[in-house]
Amino acid sequence: MNFLSRFKPSSREGSLGLILIVTIGITGIINPRFLTGDGTRDLFTSTAVVALLAIGMAPIIIMRHIDLSVASTVGLTAWFIADLCAKNPEFTWVQCFIIGPIIGMVVGVLNGLLVAGLRLPSLVVTLGTLYIVRGAVYVISNSVDYNAQEMPPSLLSLGQKVYFGVMPFTFLLVIFAMLVTAWFMKYRKAGRDCYAIGSNPHAADLVGIKVFRRTFLAFVFSGAMSGLAGVFYLMRFAQVDSTAFYGQELAVVAAAVIGGVTIAGGSGTTVGATIGALLVQTIQGGLAAIGVDAFWKSAINGLLLIVAIYADRTLARKSENALLAQRIKERA
Amino acid sequence: MAQKGDLLLQMKGVQKRFGGAIALRGTDLSIRAGEIHALLGENGAGKSTMLKILAGVHVNDGGTISLGDKPFITGSPEAAIAQGIAVIYQEPSLFLDLTLAENVFIGRQPMKGVAIDWAQAQVEAARLFAELGVPLDPKRQARGLSIADQQVVEIAKALSMNANIILMDEPTAALSASEVERLMTVMKSLKAANKAVIFVSHRLDEVFVISDYITVMRDGATVSENPVTGTDLQKVIKEMVGRELTELFPKTENKIGGVALEIKDLTNPAYFRNISFTVRHGEIVALAGLVGSGRSEVARAIFGIDKYTTGSVKVNGKDLAKGSPVAAMAEKIALVPEDRRQQGLFMIAGVNRNISMESFDRIKGKIFLNFKKERALTEIWREKLSIKYESQSNPVESLSGGNQQKTVLAKWLATDPDILIVDEPTRGIDVGTKAEVHKLINAAAGEGKAVLMISSELPEVLGMADRIIVMREGHKVAELSRSEATQEKVIAAATTGSKGA
Repeated sequence: MNFLSRFKPSSREGSLGLILIVTIGITGIINPRFLTGDGTRDLFTSTAVVALLAIGMAPIIIMRHIDLSVASTVGLTAWFIADLCAKNPEFTWVQCFIIGPIIGMVVGVLNGLLVAGLRLPSLVVTLGTLYIVRGAVYVISNSVDYNAQEMPPSLLSLGQKVYFGVMPFTFLLVIFAMLVTAWFMKYRKAGRDCYAIGSNPHAADLVGIKVFRRTFLAFVFSGAMSGLAGVFYLMRFAQVDSTAFYGQELAVVAAAVIGGVTIAGGSGTTVGATIGALLVQTIQGGLAAIGVDAFWKSAINGLLLIVAIYADRTLARKSENALLAQRIKERA
Repeated sequence: MAQKGDLLLQMKGVQKRFGGAIALRGTDLSIRAGEIHALLGENGAGKSTMLKILAGVHVNDGGTISLGDKPFITGSPEAAIAQGIAVIYQEPSLFLDLTLAENVFIGRQPMKGVAIDWAQAQVEAARLFAELGVPLDPKRQARGLSIADQQVVEIAKALSMNANIILMDEPTAALSASEVERLMTVMKSLKAANKAVIFVSHRLDEVFVISDYITVMRDGATVSENPVTGTDLQKVIKEMVGRELTELFPKTENKIGGVALEIKDLTNPAYFRNISFTVRHGEIVALAGLVGSGRSEVARAIFGIDKYTTGSVKVNGKDLAKGSPVAAMAEKIALVPEDRRQQGLFMIAGVNRNISMESFDRIKGKIFLNFKKERALTEIWREKLSIKYESQSNPVESLSGGNQQKTVLAKWLATDPDILIVDEPTRGIDVGTKAEVHKLINAAAGEGKAVLMISSELPEVLGMADRIIVMREGHKVAELSRSEATQEKVIAAATTGSKGA
């Protein structure tokens, strides 16, 4: 119990979870299939990639940075691994799970060096690497696509694996990554440094926080998560071309922000980011279930993002006013 | 553990230059355990540079610094912290998203195995706050904390690091009278624990109350170092400015005309209630009270930055639209805000651009802005206010605090306002510049402008104002004429709400 209570979500994650449950409930009323085991499994399967990326992105946003290169990195890793597997038929899921994160980390190191080392704005740097990495995929792939028959059967069967009828293997790993990262961010000094850097970068320098090292490592971590997400992509779709996961980076940012990771830095958790990803997916599923045109889905996604930011600001203002009132009361 | 009177820190002939500019040309300082040491000097005298060298932010070019019998290792804030030096900057640098306990222990959190022991951190922080006599809640977020409480957190942080030398850069600049008293109690408890406290202040009255030693700096060099018993206010002022100040508050008698600004029952329940007063042409009215009593909020409401729920503002008998700075400026009201860096200036823009910012009409050509006129306008105000800069296009952030303040004043005076509202016009600027700012405000009143001045400095309030309105917790608690106002009456009204003796 004591161990579990460590992971008890703070009030914000709690209320997000509540919103998620309500949304799932409403969707379920509209389309009862959504609440079945199959429906739940589908929700988890389709959220895994974005959720994993949101977990990788959360520390970066907490530090007032952003990583726009994640979707391109997913595309790069997915294609590269498929290519390696096609050329090395002896590869199993093990090689994929090792090579994927390493490829992602290469992009992460590049981002980290440019942002932390040269102190360039991460928005511009990762926008640059977004195009560079995607461009590299176009060039390397030379329009070659890969399908299920070129991929290791062990990888694909792992992608099909479901526990208790509802929990796919990939999402189990997402939950594991979420808990480990959440624990790290809360109970390790390096994790707390991320919050400090995002909260007040100037003060972080003054108290001797290793800003370079933390920023660099956060980008490497995000890169590694993107690489793993590339493997997840293959496991889910069992096919890849050079446009794989094109343009999905903002969906990841949206999931994190909807999950309460403040874009201004300093607060948020990976638990929130994961719930955010699930929430976006649930609403998408719900909209599909009530027969909303696919063109509207993206608009509604955007609306959701703005509502989330608005809710966040309103909450922040409310708590600021409450603190102010408390101060006035304390004085009297 | 240092004994009282042990030499903790000695600086000899310390020099520092930035490019061509010499910041320190040979500074000496000796600090002993169990002593409160005041560092005085006008802006630009080199006090901040000295603190930053000790904080490890800058490295000195020459001279020696020793800590006890060991040389001081310069180079990084971490090294300074490791050597027992803690710095509390003028603007506390807390992490507002984090709890107070975490702010105290950031980077040095107590561990239990591989995990941070949050319970332990909270207990320890609570103990430190209690030791300082300010029982703050360690689980609370730092956001929303008053500046005074933020300083307490910083001091607790210094104690938790076992710092034996604590540097404070103008700790009292943003504090109200009662908060200053509380800080002084904290400083005395540090002294009793045989720590050395070095503090920079422009409030000389406090310096004489609290410090044991006074070091005066001028132009990057130490002018004098005396025990407090061996010097006095006049001498210190003379050493700081290098000249005798004839009078700190040169009150001039101005001709007082009709009512320019009339505030009636102004209410914004969150900040202030039923505030009524008038300001006449040629009159200086001071709005006194503790920081947070609602003074600045009233000014902001008058100028239209914030809205108010009920009440009215009349300018020369005409109702002023609420919530519109544009309408306020059309009625020739100017507001010089409290926080010049955040609200008063465009820090990276040139002096000229800042001064002309609100006076486009004056520098307009037929179609485009006429930069020749802008240069002329800037030159006029440079001369009037003796603002010091190398070139008109120097970014304002490169100017000293006093010159920045003059630039904000120039920006608003250039609009030729009828009603001038100034919020803490001399916060954080040195004695010489203060007197100049006072002279400027007096001159503005002399031209028939109505002046509303918000100030936390009692001598300033009493010296400058024709009438004093005292606020406490959002209410107007007293209105005193120049002849009936005394320090005691204003303090009593501001802190207890009674009109006092």
